[in-house]
Amino acid sequence: MIARVADHCFWLGRYLERAESSARHLQVTGVLALDGELPRDRVWPPIVIVSGQEADFVARFGRQKMADSEAVQRYLARDPHNPVSITRTVAAARENARSIREVVSLEVWQTINELYVFLGSSEAERMYEEDRDALFARIQRSTQLCLGLVRGTMLHDTPLDFIWLGVVLERMSQTARLLDVEHHALVAAGAPHPVLETALWLSLLRACSGFEAFMKRNRGKVTGAAVASFLSLEPRFPRSVRYCAGYARQRLAAICAEPAPKGEVRSPPGGVPGRLALERLEDLERWLDGLAPDSLCGAKVHEVLTHVVTEANRVCADVGSQLFGYGPPPSVQMASQ
Amino acid sequence: MSDAPRASAPEPGLFSSYAPLSGTWDELFEATSKLRPSLAGPLAALLTLRANELGRSQSLAERSLLNQGVTFSVYSDERGSEKIFPFCLVPRVVTAADWRHVERGLEQRIVALQHFLDDIYGDQKILASGKIPREVVLGAKHYLPQLRGVKPPQRVRIHISGIDLIRDPDGVFRVLEDNLRTPSGVSYVIENRQVTKRVLPTIFAEARVRRVDHYPARLAETLRRAAPEGVDDPLCVVLTPGPFNSAYFEHSFLARTMGLELVQGSDLVVEDDKVFLRTTRGLSRVHVVYRRIDDAFLDPEAFREDSLLGVPGIVRAWAKGNVTLANAPGNGVADDKAVCALVPDIIRYYLGEEPVLCDVSTLVCARDDDRRYVLEHLDQLVVKAVDEAGGYGMLMGPSSTAAERDEFRRRIEASPRSYVAQRRVELSTCPTWDGEREVLVPRRVDLRPYVLTSPDGPWVLPGGLTRVALREGSYVVNSSQGGGSKDTWVLQEET
Repeated sequence: MIARVADHCFWLGRYLERAESSARHLQVTGVLALDGELPRDRVWPPIVIVSGQEADFVARFGRQKMADSEAVQRYLARDPHNPVSITRTVAAARENARSIREVVSLEVWQTINELYVFLGSSEAERMYEEDRDALFARIQRSTQLCLGLVRGTMLHDTPLDFIWLGVVLERMSQTARLLDVEHHALVAAGAPHPVLETALWLSLLRACSGFEAFMKRNRGKVTGAAVASFLSLEPRFPRSVRYCAGYARQRLAAICAEPAPKGEVRSPPGGVPGRLALERLEDLERWLDGLAPDSLCGAKVHEVLTHVVTEANRVCADVGSQLFGYGPPPSVQMASQ
Repeated sequence: MSDAPRASAPEPGLFSSYAPLSGTWDELFEATSKLRPSLAGPLAALLTLRANELGRSQSLAERSLLNQGVTFSVYSDERGSEKIFPFCLVPRVVTAADWRHVERGLEQRIVALQHFLDDIYGDQKILASGKIPREVVLGAKHYLPQLRGVKPPQRVRIHISGIDLIRDPDGVFRVLEDNLRTPSGVSYVIENRQVTKRVLPTIFAEARVRRVDHYPARLAETLRRAAPEGVDDPLCVVLTPGPFNSAYFEHSFLARTMGLELVQGSDLVVEDDKVFLRTTRGLSRVHVVYRRIDDAFLDPEAFREDSLLGVPGIVRAWAKGNVTLANAPGNGVADDKAVCALVPDIIRYYLGEEPVLCDVSTLVCARDDDRRYVLEHLDQLVVKAVDEAGGYGMLMGPSSTAAERDEFRRRIEASPRSYVAQRRVELSTCPTWDGEREVLVPRRVDLRPYVLTSPDGPWVLPGGLTRVALREGSYVVNSSQGGGSKDTWVLQEET
């Protein structure tokens, strides 16, 4: 497979997952704000922090605006200057797909392109003003449809492995960051009223599409430690860190097992490309399996999730340098992210 | 022909008031509301179409093209945005008899031009014979003297070509220009056909039109058969300048429909005069490159040093016979607009035959007599720069201002070799939907058929890209200058 094409596949997956995750997080946060029991400076700042754009947001609008629901939502949903706004993310997904039109199926391309055309239309702006919930729902449906079509209409082959590798690595980071930020906000603010605390944990589960799955596993007992352990370690929940790490490892193993191209081939030195990232994922999986589920409370949560995010970044850097042919990553910078 | 009386009688439908321009051939109508007799049968169903039906179908078609991303990029637009290539649902129709003639003419022309290229990059016998002026050929901008002596794999040079035809007021097809380097547009032929079938299924079926959707399979076969000697299962790729190129949609379309890899210059590397593809598993040998990058940018070692799009060393690999480039480098000498004027002589010299297809008579400013005439008649002629394409660098004499004519006079005197002139031909028209006024209006069209050449000879796709000048009174059909396209229906032979 062409290295550049593999790179586009990987980022197509990441951007699709990111668009879906952002839309869901905005939708859930909007619903949470409706109850009016929480001060606004508890509802909106975490979502900016999770996006990784706190510094940019503060520089442009000032810190107090992080509690302003309209400012935050427009910034994360539609701001053309915010590189991770949903509009920009969908455009980036579409640009990656456009660069590999001959690789993605026509159905996949049409779905991404339709979403992109729609988000740029006056209809989308009207929907944003009048029925924001429906707009976020539509974005989630389109991106999920797209990933479904990836699975249902494309060859189950190396390009697909790269797309899914991008999806699950992005998902793993999103779940880890979301849990880390929300957990920190809850713990730092001291215990609110138990009813409210439960509402916040449930909102976090909804932001990860994990409400019903959590309830099935825990029979309605909602505690901070149970939620943190579910989102980190539940091996059967497709958005948990543990599940994503395992699935990423499977995809990467399939990529490494791809037969070498037939005909005249010149292999690079140092064994099968991707081996390093694969070993890193195997280590992460083993490390997660070694954690006791009830140990995930207090400062331990932040420690675990920081390790997860750092390892995810390192895997991405290894994949980039070994499979896509980027230069070696500046390791100091990666470690501090 | 039992349909004819019904079709030529006044109809209450959309076409009842359509009036062709006088002094101009119309592709469908011979007089107001009177269809050409040869089309009356095949197009009987089309005539029953009403304005609201066509309007609805037209917007359906446009919506479908936009959602599918059938777009092109416009260079002058700073945002680099994509637009759909405007499409008019009313087809341009070519009868089986007319097509037989066009097909024969194109085959003859391509065979002669192949001989010409082999000769110019070989012994240059035609120049020694004095049949055509040496300085016009050797002075062509795209003549590449450093390639003399190179024999391309399988001896094919013009694997893919697109020949622009127009139709004069007598209905005679004439060659306007040849495109022997990287002709584009064939993807729109196939997409336009798909959309037409979807929105006008009954009308299309009744007309009995020859299919065009096998083009990608034929192209893939043409590429495979052009592989270097001794390669059984060649790896073929499509080389694109990248997503910002105006024809990127087409590059990816062709790669996708042929099942080939679409690569950019940076994906290829030359080692030991062989071309390799950078894959996730190392380097993999490439045998055939369908390149959609101009000669100048193809190889920074051989041509423009500043090219970031190309592949260093690829021309050397080609000259050694280790890779096939389609089309071969250097073809530009044969589609130069001044050399185009010499093609009838080229056909006579190599084939000993008279040309089947007429040309548009062309004045070559490099010749003293021609130049004098051109400078005296600028207001009646169309002047073209020999090395520009896409409708740029052109003077439309009859509609030009005095200042524009002075500007071209200066340019021609400074560099006569760079210009040719043609009398403005009254391009034929075809009924075209005017969405604002919701009526059919006559608009001027040309036709670009596509020819694939394998070692056995040329094959002409039965169809082609009909481009239409959408602005009233306009003669410029280029997509970058307000042109659109139509589906071209080549009718099946009567059985």
